[in-house]
Amino acid sequence: MSKTVLRGKAWVAAGYVMAYEIIKQEFWTSRIDAAENARWVMAGVAPEFDADGAFASHGYRFIVGGHNFAGGGKSIEHVITGIMGAGIQAVIADSFARLQFRNAINYGLPFITCRDLRAHVQTGDELEVHLDTGLIRNLTRGAEAQAAPVPSFVQEVADAGGMIPFIRRHIANGTVDTLR
Amino acid sequence: MAGMTLTEKIMARASRRDHVAPGQLLWADIHTVMTMDYLGKSTFEAFAALGVPEVFRRDRVICVSDHLVPPPTAHFATMLNEWRVLVKQHRIEHFYDLGRQGIAHQVMVENGHVLPGTISIGTDSHANTYGAVGAMGNAVGVTDAAVAMAIGKCWFRVPETVRFHIRGAWPSWVMAKDLSLHVMGMMHWNGHLIYKTIEYTGPAIDNLGMAGRMTLCNMTVDLGAKNGIIAPDAVTADYLATRTTDAWSALVGDTDAAYDQEYEVDVSTIAPTVARPDKLDDIASVDAVAGTPFNKAFIGTCTNGRLEDLAIVASILQGQQVHRDVNLLVVPASSRVYLDAVRAGYIATIVEAGGAVDTPSCAACAGVHTGVAGDGDVVLSAGNRNMKGRMGSRNAQIWLSSPAVVAYSALKGVISDPRELPASQWIDQGPPAHV
Repeated sequence: MSKTVLRGKAWVAAGYVMAYEIIKQEFWTSRIDAAENARWVMAGVAPEFDADGAFASHGYRFIVGGHNFAGGGKSIEHVITGIMGAGIQAVIADSFARLQFRNAINYGLPFITCRDLRAHVQTGDELEVHLDTGLIRNLTRGAEAQAAPVPSFVQEVADAGGMIPFIRRHIANGTVDTLR
Repeated sequence: MAGMTLTEKIMARASRRDHVAPGQLLWADIHTVMTMDYLGKSTFEAFAALGVPEVFRRDRVICVSDHLVPPPTAHFATMLNEWRVLVKQHRIEHFYDLGRQGIAHQVMVENGHVLPGTISIGTDSHANTYGAVGAMGNAVGVTDAAVAMAIGKCWFRVPETVRFHIRGAWPSWVMAKDLSLHVMGMMHWNGHLIYKTIEYTGPAIDNLGMAGRMTLCNMTVDLGAKNGIIAPDAVTADYLATRTTDAWSALVGDTDAAYDQEYEVDVSTIAPTVARPDKLDDIASVDAVAGTPFNKAFIGTCTNGRLEDLAIVASILQGQQVHRDVNLLVVPASSRVYLDAVRAGYIATIVEAGGAVDTPSCAACAGVHTGVAGDGDVVLSAGNRNMKGRMGSRNAQIWLSSPAVVAYSALKGVISDPRELPASQWIDQGPPAHV
């Protein structure tokens, strides 16, 4: 990844966050576009975010979630583009729902698995996340946690700018057969 | 080296490897890619960004109208028109548009677009349904679908396999849906099934027809799993015999395969089961909640809108009248199911009983059209999800159950136990007699 150490302010989810709440049903058929999807991202998660641009206005750079983040069985990519459009650089959670885990990898947004990080972080804390080693430091509280490092395949896709440019390059280079 | 489970075998073959292990990331060959109206246009737009003029195989990209037909708004009607132009432009051979439509997963399986031992993907979460014929069925987003449309491949993380061994005889009025809800309650959304393969095995699965197998695999996504699968057998071969001319070869899991977890369920101890509103794992035996009033009954969806489901519904409604305080809506899972149900007389029975029938679609299950729930509605649904807002208003309650429970309760006006009915009205859920 071009940038392996990320820093910024965290928003900590209070409970289980579903994809349905990150992007409310009325926006499921809107265009997949980071700026557009970011306007109403997280609108169903908390009343304070249920306004145009509300979540993005806080300037959070990380989401710290619990179990099965973005679950509920929706594959809509607006969840990921919306989160990225709001300025989020990585999501760290106990576990992730697989549909959004895939989407995150395809868009180059690190989804980092780290158990119980919520116990050590409060909303507004400044975090430092090392993608290559999985080290997470809470700069506000001086605590540290160890997450799983991001696999090299995920980094290659992120470096290419996402799955579409990654595959476009393989097609252009005639190297699709090397993907196995 | 430990043996491989069925899903691992499929992934090894599709990635041209001798062996794969859980956790491994790999690229695998895709047999078919399904995309439907809701995300079809977006998928073709992502495809266009890849720089290839043609899809990898025009007979292996399947396009289906299901979520938004007949279109409920001018906005969606326009979106579908734009999508149809793209489908035509790419000369897609299998386009199930309004008139020939069905819920995509039903259409995929009933038309032989899914084969045992292969991987098929779709841009809708219930693509897990394909596991019923021994395929790996997987839901993906539009990016993955677009990539597969271009290169015939998709990347996967090899999942750990969890086995549910189901034994015992199926009691009357207990359907595959009841087993799915029972497993839901048993696992309590504790995370043990997230990203796993669920493999159903055992004599009670051997004795289950394809409709029930599709229900079981369908709801594995709601358990949090990556896919659900049932090894192909004589039931599978019989089902596919009239649906595909493509050759297929069955794969079986190794006897020394390593399972991540193993559970056993005696199906003879299961009662008709319901999920209370808002949470899938908040389950109860139907007799424990009998008498609960509701005002909307819904039977359909990729979980329970098949011919066998409508047969049970018709058997219960035959000569009876739906309670005056209940609206019953029945939506067959596909045009093929609909026509078969018309010919079998099930549709006439439902309409005579005071039930409404609509053209095949996801209907109210997707919360977009055809019977959406409003404030204060209490819905008893044979669908798959009951979270707030799923069928429309967040101020509606959704109970889930088998079609048998919905149909019998619709007659009574309150949630009722179909085991009160004479055994002669029950229809065995096993495979056809000749298998």
